[in-house]
Amino acid sequence: MATFDQGNGHSGWSSEVATVTLGLDGVVTGWSEGARRLLGHGAPEVVGRPATDLLLGGGAPDATGFSLTGSREWRGTAALRHRDGHRVTTTLHAQPSLDVDGRPRSFVVALSPDPGPPLVQWAFDQSSIALSTHATASGAWQRNAVAQGGGGRAALTGGERRAPAYADEGLLRSVRRVAEEGVPLRYECLAPEPTCGPGATPAVLLSSARHRAWVIELWPVRDPGTGEVVGVGTAAFDSSDQHAARRRLALLQEAGTLIGTTLNVARTAQELADLAVPRLADFVSVDLLDSVLRGEEPVPGPVDAAVVLRRVAHQSTAEGEDVPEAAIDLGDMDTYPPFSPPARCLADGKPVLSGVADPDFTAWIAGHERRNARVAEFGFHSVMATPLRARGITLGVAVFTRGEGSPPFEPDDLILAEELAGRAAVGVDNARRYTRERTNALTLQRSLLPRDLPKQAAVEVAYRYLPAGTGAGVGGDWFDVVPLSGTRVALVVGDVVGHGIHASATMGRLRTAVRTLADVDLPPDELLTHLDDLVVHLATDREDLHPDEPYLVSGEIGATCLYAVYDPVSRVCTFASAGHVPPVVLLPDGTARVVELTPGPLLGVGGLPFECTEVELPEGSLLAFCTDGLVEARERDVGLGLDRLCEVLSGPVTSLEATCDTILRALLPASPYDDVALLLARTRALHADQVAAWSLPSDPAVVADARAQVTRQLTAWGLEEVAFVTELVVSELVTNAIRYGAVPIGLRLIRDRTLICEVSDASNTAPHLRRARTYDEGGRGLHMVAQLTQGWGTRQSPTGKTIWAEQSLPGG
Amino acid sequence: MAARPGTDAGRGTHTLGLLYPPAGRLGEYTTMQLAFVGGVAESAAEQGYDLLLAPAGSHEDPSFPRMVDDRRVDGVIVMEIRREDDRVAHLADAGFPFVAIGRNHRADVAGWVDLDFAGLAGGCVQHLADLGHRRIAFVNRSEQLFDSGYGFARLGDEGYTETMKKLLLTPHAYLCGDDLASGEAVVERILSEDPDTTSLVTMNEAALEGVYRGLTRNGRTVPRDFSVVGVAASPWAEQVNPPLTAAEIPAKEMSRVAVDLMMRRLRAPDSPPRHVLLKPLITLRGSTGRCRQAPGSEPESELPDFPDIDLDF
Repeated sequence: MATFDQGNGHSGWSSEVATVTLGLDGVVTGWSEGARRLLGHGAPEVVGRPATDLLLGGGAPDATGFSLTGSREWRGTAALRHRDGHRVTTTLHAQPSLDVDGRPRSFVVALSPDPGPPLVQWAFDQSSIALSTHATASGAWQRNAVAQGGGGRAALTGGERRAPAYADEGLLRSVRRVAEEGVPLRYECLAPEPTCGPGATPAVLLSSARHRAWVIELWPVRDPGTGEVVGVGTAAFDSSDQHAARRRLALLQEAGTLIGTTLNVARTAQELADLAVPRLADFVSVDLLDSVLRGEEPVPGPVDAAVVLRRVAHQSTAEGEDVPEAAIDLGDMDTYPPFSPPARCLADGKPVLSGVADPDFTAWIAGHERRNARVAEFGFHSVMATPLRARGITLGVAVFTRGEGSPPFEPDDLILAEELAGRAAVGVDNARRYTRERTNALTLQRSLLPRDLPKQAAVEVAYRYLPAGTGAGVGGDWFDVVPLSGTRVALVVGDVVGHGIHASATMGRLRTAVRTLADVDLPPDELLTHLDDLVVHLATDREDLHPDEPYLVSGEIGATCLYAVYDPVSRVCTFASAGHVPPVVLLPDGTARVVELTPGPLLGVGGLPFECTEVELPEGSLLAFCTDGLVEARERDVGLGLDRLCEVLSGPVTSLEATCDTILRALLPASPYDDVALLLARTRALHADQVAAWSLPSDPAVVADARAQVTRQLTAWGLEEVAFVTELVVSELVTNAIRYGAVPIGLRLIRDRTLICEVSDASNTAPHLRRARTYDEGGRGLHMVAQLTQGWGTRQSPTGKTIWAEQSLPGG
Repeated sequence: MAARPGTDAGRGTHTLGLLYPPAGRLGEYTTMQLAFVGGVAESAAEQGYDLLLAPAGSHEDPSFPRMVDDRRVDGVIVMEIRREDDRVAHLADAGFPFVAIGRNHRADVAGWVDLDFAGLAGGCVQHLADLGHRRIAFVNRSEQLFDSGYGFARLGDEGYTETMKKLLLTPHAYLCGDDLASGEAVVERILSEDPDTTSLVTMNEAALEGVYRGLTRNGRTVPRDFSVVGVAASPWAEQVNPPLTAAEIPAKEMSRVAVDLMMRRLRAPDSPPRHVLLKPLITLRGSTGRCRQAPGSEPESELPDFPDIDLDF
């Protein structure tokens, strides 16, 4: 049935036997067309010549028994010479042609080419490729040794090769299709390693490196005569290597899209772990240097010796969220000894392949109790440690591990791991850089915001500052609490329009300016006027900046500010607003309302007046200052937000801190678009036993009375210790007021955390601290006050000025 | 004459007498008085002395001879002193050690401690004037008290009148009963006599609440429309609404000074008598404010913020 090529370009069919007739003398008498095809000679060239001329070498040994005598049939082989000179080994089958007497008259010799040994069959049987034939009619398979699954003939085929599963339904379908359609097909399949056994679970089937990939070529076998497809031939090639290469490429391709989707360090590390399991490893851990997580710049180059790393991500083939294989919990630190594969890879900057055969590996595992237990439990035997390096700096290490049931890693896996780690490292580094930039911006902003608000007794405060979501960057919201003289306090909240470093920087300048102006003790409306001027100047400066400067669209600065001064003695709060969201007040009776203010123009507009609004607040009132980020959401206008704020405040108020949280929970949109500042202040009042104020006639004789009165008051307060200094201060200030000031003159003592002595008069001229020369009579008073007290200053009021001096109290 | 007690002070009774007639309308001690009693008792105890309290308003009161003539005490502190006071005269004549809280011409032979009522009333006027007030009335104690010669009533009146004149203003002084109704009535009188009155000085703490009521009834809000300043003990001043801006009567300090003077007298009988005149400052509370011009009236100054700048100094 097989067709074969004799190798000489002459093909013939075995059924077409060449016949030659020989006379009894051995002379060729007849020459068939078949003989011509076999030996190349035409009949005229041969007929009449002795047949022995055709024998190669004058007489083939096989032909020696050939006798033209006798009447028996004869069969043998002979080496004949082809017309072109090459040897043609043939099987000769001579039959005498008998006459009536039974004597031979001539011989008919049938020549057929000698098939030689059955090489084709042998080649089929012994092929290193799994070959098989499938007879369409009978459905019978004929498989060579490899196709039968190695077995005893494994040695012939290198012993390693395994057969694909011929029972595979897909393959059978393809066989049928080839038989029906008569076209060659290629079928590819994955077959589990026989070692996996029949109990292999789907999870195992998904795992890496436990499969053989097969490419099976199928072709139709036709009857040459009829052209009918009678069977299907198959040849199966083990394409595991190509398949693995393709898988690696696919993994790398996915790594490009799946690693580094965010600018989050931990997330990027997790993406690496998720991608590598289960296709590359059974368990992957990613550990980073702590500095990377903080966004800091790690030291360039490899990391030396024992290294402390923080577990950032890990993943395993285990089902569910938990990763039971992990010896280190997420977020925990671990020290890797210098000989451990992770430390070695960090030290060399090259990936390290290790496993149970490596004494370092066993030493490392043995040195860590929990790790030892995990390795024993999950049968980890092969490990790859790959440094995460990007842009010349080492960020951390990724460790890929295979456990029981998986083959050990191969060098190819190491290359893949290195490539994956490289991609992840770039992603991690990007995230780190972003983290650093954002941290810097936030740090800048936080450094511009108050950290610990100054201690003061006028109000109890709580505050929150929340930067906007990642998209918008840092913002320009700020708040402040500035203690003023006479136990008053300034409460400030402001908002520079826009985002980014520039908004933060502008915010910082405005905040500093507000502090400075507050220290001068300007009334709120005047303070905002000065601030307005400042913003106008800032805007002018900015126009001169380099045009490439980012964040700058125009020179204009939009900013709002709300400035309020609360006086715990009078319990009056004075507000002035520059286009800012009005505050909300919760009165002790539980009613909350928006404080009605004259809104005032935005800062930077210039030239428009600001107005003060005075509100007397019962003690224990709660003021809520915020920026528009809190009350103004995309789907909600400011009014509704303020109403909501009132509503929340009307609810039960426990501590200020808790109220802050409640407010943020209730009002903050899910992803805040703008940054948010919230400042809560609960007012306190100074009571009659903490404040004493007197009216003084403008009469030098009153100084003594004033001293006596102050002493009397301090005795009543039990503060005799400070009476001496206070008397001196009072004498000085009252004398000054009588000498230089205008009536009415007032004297006030406030006993709070400190003792404050204030003398006010109706004159607006502020005193100056002169440096008195040796023989000057005047100019010493304020020096003395400055020396004796903790601080002194002046403030202007609509009706004059006040000079104050503050003394610390014993134990206060 | 009896033996000089000072010589054997060390062997005396270690008891001080306090002659203090109740001032309440029903014959009870007022809160103010009790503060003095407490103050004196406290200070005496610090010095190792007990206190014997007698409600004697005259030397004819039986308690007076019991205390003084029987020498049940080493010395006497006399209170509620009138211009002519027979107790002071008797004690001075007898040479019995005594100290006065309050004063009259006879008390000068002994030590005394007193408030400068004239100065206080004047200071009140000055304070109001500093705030721009020009029409300032004075509400004094009752006619009976005034006539019976209580020093502070007359001194206050004098101080008020003097300061008003010095400021070239017209004084309007009123006597007023020590009760609420009289307070209301006096406001009616003040406002009917001069409806443009913007302020008053009072030394009558008992009538204070009535004064406030009267002002409210007449549509004057303190301190927006009308300022009130007084001389009063702090409980009175702080009980009204708004709390009264007032010169305090420092009961405790006066008591202490009186006991100190008594100790000096007992330990050094021959030293010259000391006289202590206290002048407390006006404590600013809530009842005074800048003078607001009544609608339609002429402004008195070109510079309302500096109303007194040309009037004083």
